[in-house]
Amino acid sequence: MRIIVHKAKCQGHAQCLARAPGVFKLDDEGYILPGDIEVAEGEQRLASQGARCCPERALEVDATPAARIEPDVDQSRVRRA
Amino acid sequence: MAINQVPDHVPPEMVGDFSLFTSPGMSPTPNGDPHAAVACVHAGAPIFYSPCNTRPGRGTWVITRAADQRRVLQDTETFSSHRSTFASALGENWPMIPLELDPPAHRVFRSLLNPLLSPKRVTELEPTIRERAITLIEGIAASGTSCDVMKDFAFPFAVNIFLRFLGLPEHRLHTFVGWARDLLHGDDVRRPAAARTIVAFIDELAAMRRNRPVDDFMSFIVQAQVEGRRLTDEEVRGMGVLLFVAGLDTVATAIGFDLAYLARNIKDQDLLRSEPDRIVLAAEELLRAYPSVQMVRVAIKDIDFEGAPIRKGDYVSCAAMIANRDPAEFESPNTVDLSREANRHASFGYGPHRCLGSHLARREIVIGLEEWLARIPAFRIKEGTAPVAYGGHVFGIENLILDWS
Ligand code: HEM
Ligand code: SF4
Repeated sequence: MRIIVHKAKCQGHAQCLARAPGVFKLDDEGYILPGDIEVAEGEQRLASQGARCCPERALEVDATPAARIEPDVDQSRVRRA
Repeated sequence: MAINQVPDHVPPEMVGDFSLFTSPGMSPTPNGDPHAAVACVHAGAPIFYSPCNTRPGRGTWVITRAADQRRVLQDTETFSSHRSTFASALGENWPMIPLELDPPAHRVFRSLLNPLLSPKRVTELEPTIRERAITLIEGIAASGTSCDVMKDFAFPFAVNIFLRFLGLPEHRLHTFVGWARDLLHGDDVRRPAAARTIVAFIDELAAMRRNRPVDDFMSFIVQAQVEGRRLTDEEVRGMGVLLFVAGLDTVATAIGFDLAYLARNIKDQDLLRSEPDRIVLAAEELLRAYPSVQMVRVAIKDIDFEGAPIRKGDYVSCAAMIANRDPAEFESPNTVDLSREANRHASFGYGPHRCLGSHLARREIVIGLEEWLARIPAFRIKEGTAPVAYGGHVFGIENLILDWS
């Protein structure tokens, strides 16, 4: 699972961090770090709860099969859903 | 309050009679529930024009749906917060910073202030906050089985933490609270007088900290740089005044409404006392149910917004108490459910002006409830007394006498 981070929408409510501190990282001002987040197997439930806590809708859960592929898997050999 | 004419461009059928200032349940009412009174707007149109919906009696559009409020508050190119509300009460024109600046200027000052109240910084303040709560509550518990929660706990707790942060003398707490009360709830004489007093006080404090900086907020801003320069006197004033009015008594109000709810709902009170791990989530739900602030923006261009012909210069009100009762966003919005998950309420606003103090406020509320419930046995509203709650520009509660005999 992957969390798509719409960085421009983040206003630093830190509700994602409050729910899932292991998944979401904020900068010194309290805004989410840029870049989508690959979520480890055991943290998926917490991560999607954290994403659903964002008041600005800055975090989007991408649960499509393609998003679950490990980064080191050769993309060309995986059939897209 | 003078009622203005409805502007010509507002279609008569879009005029509504609801007002945060004049509707039933908004004036100070014993045992009142202004938040419940507000929820009635969801039975009507999603957007309407309220002819008298600011303190000076101006009309505003009222945005009721949470999703629409988000759109307004996130779109600063159409909806500006540059209104100089504080200064205009004095016949002047300077912005409270960062609240009354729009991006990109807003961003510069906001970045300066963010680290001072970031989640990380607030974690560092936690031991001090907890110690303050424990001292006050132990004093209350030792001296009897009843107290006036606002006077004896909520104000001395939240206001003191805030004064310490700002670098203001704690022994003047009652003076400051009096100023804030006159400013927010006073009449046409007391309000400008309070505004003038606060400005003079902030200017004087800034001058003192310039001469002899210490480790506090005012010293930080008088020494700070933005875009390679020092702040002007007007900018220092704009920030000092905003922090003073935004942070002084908002947390105390929230704690008051929360304890009033728990006093009236013994089951929920028992649940949180026996399972304190639930308090973080419960505090979010109580923030949703009892917000205190409405956001007002001014349109800086014409826009047809969800069927409303909003024209340049129109005021647009986004009241958190209305958004938080939106049935499209919250299941059973009028029910307080202390285990509500993914509670994306509007109590700290949406968009770039999201409350700068929200992390501190949340910590204080949670710690206040934790320590109160751990030290005070089953409490109720004292028989024969009635807390007074009110709506208006900022919602509030007074005379909250609790009893645990
Ligand atoms: C429960 C307590 C509080 C509530 C409900 C609250 C609510 C709000 C809301 C709704 C806004 C947005 C206003 C707008 O967009 O027009 C706001 C802004 C702000 N609040 Fe709070 N607030 C609280 C506590 C605090 C505290 C403790 C501080 C200071 C330490 C503070 C400082 C500010 C500042 C500086 C802004 C302006 C931010 C900007 O314009 O970028 N607030 N607050
Ligand atoms: S909850 Fe949303 S707005 Fe808040 S820090 Fe996380 S991503 Fe940003």
